[in-house]
Amino acid sequence: MTQPEAITRVRVLYGKGPSLRFIGHLDLQRLWERLLRRTRLPIRYSQGYHPRARLNLASALPLGFVSDAELLDFWMDESRPLADVQLELQKAALPGLTIKEVQTIDLSEDSLQSQMSASEFKVTFFDPQVEEELKAMVNALLAEAEIPRVRRKKTYDLRPLILSLSVAALEDGQTCLEMRLKAEPGATGRPDEVLDALGFDSTQYLVHRTQLFLSPH
Amino acid sequence: MPQPSSETLWLRVERILPTVVKPGRYVGGELNQVVKPWDTVRTHIALAFPDIYDLGQSNLGLAILYDILNRREDIAAERTFSPWIDMEAAMRNAGIPLFSLESKRPLADFDILGVSLPYETVYTNFLNLLDLSGIPLYSRDRQGEHPLVIAGGQAVFNPEPVAPFVDAFVIGEGEAAILDLVDTYQAWKESGGGREALLTGLARIPGVYVPAFYAVDYHSDGTIQAVTPTHPNAGSPVTKRIMAELPPPMTNFLVPNVEISQERVSIEIMRGCTRGCRFCHAGMVNRPIRERPVEEILSALRRGLDQTGYEEISLLSLSSSDYSQIIPLIEGLRGLLNERQVNISLPSLRIESFSDALMDQLQTLSPGGGFTLAPEAGTERLRQIINKPISDAELMNTVRSIFEHGWGSIKLYFMIGHPQETMEDVAGIVTLSRAVLAEGRGIIGGRARLHVGISTFIPKPDTPFQWVPFEDPEIIAKKLSLLHDGLRGAKIKMTWNDPHASLLEAWLARGDRRLAEVIHHAWQHGARFDAWSEHFNLAHWEAAFEAVGLDPDFYSTRPRQLDEILPWDHINAGIRKAFLIQDYQWSKKGRIRPDCRQGCYACGILSNFQDLRTAAPHGGWKCP
Repeated sequence: MTQPEAITRVRVLYGKGPSLRFIGHLDLQRLWERLLRRTRLPIRYSQGYHPRARLNLASALPLGFVSDAELLDFWMDESRPLADVQLELQKAALPGLTIKEVQTIDLSEDSLQSQMSASEFKVTFFDPQVEEELKAMVNALLAEAEIPRVRRKKTYDLRPLILSLSVAALEDGQTCLEMRLKAEPGATGRPDEVLDALGFDSTQYLVHRTQLFLSPH
Repeated sequence: MPQPSSETLWLRVERILPTVVKPGRYVGGELNQVVKPWDTVRTHIALAFPDIYDLGQSNLGLAILYDILNRREDIAAERTFSPWIDMEAAMRNAGIPLFSLESKRPLADFDILGVSLPYETVYTNFLNLLDLSGIPLYSRDRQGEHPLVIAGGQAVFNPEPVAPFVDAFVIGEGEAAILDLVDTYQAWKESGGGREALLTGLARIPGVYVPAFYAVDYHSDGTIQAVTPTHPNAGSPVTKRIMAELPPPMTNFLVPNVEISQERVSIEIMRGCTRGCRFCHAGMVNRPIRERPVEEILSALRRGLDQTGYEEISLLSLSSSDYSQIIPLIEGLRGLLNERQVNISLPSLRIESFSDALMDQLQTLSPGGGFTLAPEAGTERLRQIINKPISDAELMNTVRSIFEHGWGSIKLYFMIGHPQETMEDVAGIVTLSRAVLAEGRGIIGGRARLHVGISTFIPKPDTPFQWVPFEDPEIIAKKLSLLHDGLRGAKIKMTWNDPHASLLEAWLARGDRRLAEVIHHAWQHGARFDAWSEHFNLAHWEAAFEAVGLDPDFYSTRPRQLDEILPWDHINAGIRKAFLIQDYQWSKKGRIRPDCRQGCYACGILSNFQDLRTAAPHGGWKCP
């Protein structure tokens, strides 16, 4: 049996690129399990007839989004130098998934999901937008005291979930949107909901997640 | 309409993807996908499976061809599948042609389109795929700029119903012939010849059938008068291609990003079967038996796990318990499973080749779960007729052993509609099923589960039952209701195939060239995804037969004469017609044909492939 003190928890900061944007959260979880299996790292598995690698993803990224800032924890039965871990993960990574950073995490830390507090996004548009018009739409939306929305047959108020929303310019001069949305358990804002409230449908834009914010308890 | 460049095409695709179900089917980008810069290769081949990604990407045959072709530096092989109904609508609406998953190029940009036809119910999807690609459906309408359309797979041992749509068929094992085909294509392209010259070159390749070079004449009753080669290169018959031995298995499986039906490291341990079940197409057309060595299988499984990260392995063969090294193989697997923390899906096993030693071994690999057995018919009498002579006692012994070894559920497969089947034989399915469940209850109590799967017998080409009528659908319905009544209240789960879907397969399996028009009409009426019960619509097909003026019963319920020229007689699957006739006549007397590993019955394999057998290592094959 592995000594409990040898167990290591590793946190990975990774990106999910355009070729994976139509891969959903559950599928991504399976891809991560297989990625871990392809490494030669001492991955910690569950017991039983169908051993599964133990892993923990911070926050589901909606279908169609790309990200530079996803977080995942996994566990190893023995510790390994972080540089080796990073190299093994990079070698085993599937196309479109980039390993940016790894660190070890205290075993007692809460799960990533329960630490989530907010997510930041950048939205680009397939068809060029007029900056002034977009600004006016954003200001109008932010001026609302309540933004009632219906999702999965439940009514909720989107307004308090929007921490910030603004129009910005990309390097190529195109207009884009930046937003920070609350992402607490039970109170998570979705960019597609904000965009729908602004009058855009899912065929008109591409959403990048740029940062996750954790608030350790 | 000018062809869009791959980049602008993809921008348009990306905009419709958020509107369809499971868009990950249409984007490629998986681990172990091979993408070569378009202009760096000489020949571009699109490999198509005419059903959705979820099924097609699971197909081992296509994965093998993808691997063989991409190993050649001068070839790029890319994949494409049928878009699901919603995606097709979105593509047609946006004017987007079918594209490859690797380079996102329209299929019309490829040199060769290779289509896998594993079963008849993909034929309308095949036409749809051509149509979505802007490629003329009929071979005769294609010009120099169109891709060469080739097809292969288990269904094309009778290529005739789709012959007018295909430029060239590969009969038999594609891995044996595919590179010859590409070489011929490349030489033709270099020469700058016309399309006729290409077909002429292809017809010269052993195992390649170019249907345009054969004329079919019919008697007034609709049966075939003659199939005549019209070109000096057109062989008659065209004999299937086979591998003298199985090459080391490919292991760099493409790992799908979205869930599909088969996600595991699958290694074929053995090809072919010598049991000689008279209804079984696969058992007849995939002869001879070739085995892979245990060491090669184990090292391939390890390599496959390294390359994929899969959590499950599986062994493929028509009957794994007939593999001569099954016990050493299982012993080797035990070490592998422990070392890698993976599971195994149990292979298909034959009732009569079970032994307690095998059960003891299997128990250590995969405790729990269920077991599948295929008695196929309800009585000993009928099992002799179909040449699967398992006694009731043997079945019950195996069942007892399974329950005693700790497994809790059994699935039994039966077919109804066998030749000479009576209502007593069908009632035998009920009696046997009830006895099996009672046996399980006696051993492990209420935990014992039984699932009975019922399918309808469909007479297939190249089998001893190729002359047998498909049973009248009304009688099939009566037999099904007898089963429903008989199993009611027995706590036995019963599933069955839609007899109407079987009817379609029965028409197409033994069809002739005239059926191409029927397929075309059915597709025009809206038929597609005929293999999917929620999309299959018999009315499309009845309307198509009506429109073409053909009688569907001619293809299904009509008894064939032994001296009749069958539409596939000019295709040689390696089995002699005289052998099939003899075996059919034996069946009428209930005479059994033993497993031919014990003694040769001259099925035709050895006479057709004498040279290859000499080339096979260490005596190869399991022919005596």
